[in-house]
Amino acid sequence: MTDTMHREVAALLDEYRRDLRETRPSGQLDARIDLLVAGTRKNILRPARQQRNRVNLWAAAAGVAVVAIAAGILIGMSIGHAPGARIAQDATLLPADFSLWPADSVALQIPAEYSAQGKLVAVDPNTQSTGKRYWIDVVVSNDGTIRIDRIVPAERNDEITLQTP
Amino acid sequence: MRARRNFSRARRPNARDSRGAGLKHGDDEEIMTRLAAGDPAALRELYERHGRALLRFSAAMCRSRQSAEDLVHDTFVALLRGPSLFDPAQGSVFGYLCGVLRHRISRHYRQQKRWVALDSSDEAPVTLDRESPGPADEIARSQVTAAFRRALLELPLQHREIIALCDLEELPYQAVAGILDCPIGTVRSRLHRARALLTLRLASLELVDLEAEPQLVHEGLS
Repeated sequence: MTDTMHREVAALLDEYRRDLRETRPSGQLDARIDLLVAGTRKNILRPARQQRNRVNLWAAAAGVAVVAIAAGILIGMSIGHAPGARIAQDATLLPADFSLWPADSVALQIPAEYSAQGKLVAVDPNTQSTGKRYWIDVVVSNDGTIRIDRIVPAERNDEITLQTP
Repeated sequence: MRARRNFSRARRPNARDSRGAGLKHGDDEEIMTRLAAGDPAALRELYERHGRALLRFSAAMCRSRQSAEDLVHDTFVALLRGPSLFDPAQGSVFGYLCGVLRHRISRHYRQQKRWVALDSSDEAPVTLDRESPGPADEIARSQVTAAFRRALLELPLQHREIIALCDLEELPYQAVAGILDCPIGTVRSRLHRARALLTLRLASLELVDLEAEPQLVHEGLS
């Protein structure tokens, strides 16, 4: 490989290079660069101010939070020392079966009959019985669980035994 | 002859690779340090030092003057956003700016591919601000230069940039290798091929006589 160039191409390149050397940035580009420099001055000053403002904001928020927590503690302490609060704290004053939830569960009796498909379905107790009728005793506990307690025939002749898994 | 000068400069690793008379690396680095420290006036100084050379490179690469200036502006915006990205150990400030500009140019052409120009004459061609146009021979000369420019712009981007950097900006191979991030041998071979392709284009425009030195083209394309 040689490192030479076609003479005429070299001459054209020389000519074009001379032309390019005359190229100067336009006034528009100069102005844009000036704007860039001026904009940078603003941007350099602005972040510092913004950062200071942000620190102030966080400091104010932290101060408010501290005051709110302190006020909450003080209010809680004053309520704790109030005469009425002592009654609630004394467990001996509460009934023995005190519970936040009602201890009693609810038992329901649902009339049911065997359908044509052989399934036990609930029926209206006011309708005329077409077959053998049963009572389904359903217990709703205080925690919301539902349990079928037992199924007994309406005539109470024979009781259906529930199979538990 | 010119190529030989390039070659001899390439053999001197410490050859001057920043543009403009009297520029020193140390000055540029000091300015870059000031820019990184938040002194915006440093940007203006860098623009005054390297703006013209960058615009020449951009003008040689782009079809329109406006695009060339936009890309130079973008280069300085990028410099402003990340002055700390410049690593003096990797090369000169001018080399770094050339590298940034080169990436911008490459992206510019990638984006242009997505658009179909309805009328290519919309783009104002790069007009060189020569001070004394007028005589008929000057017009003829400018027509030849315009044709040469067209031939150059028809070259693939990587061949165009190597001619712009080595033959038009006359940067040493070492500096060009740094800008293009490739070995010096690749710069040489790519330049050789680019010159051969340019010669072929110019021959097709009847600006050069291929018969005079056909071996140069054959060697370049082989």
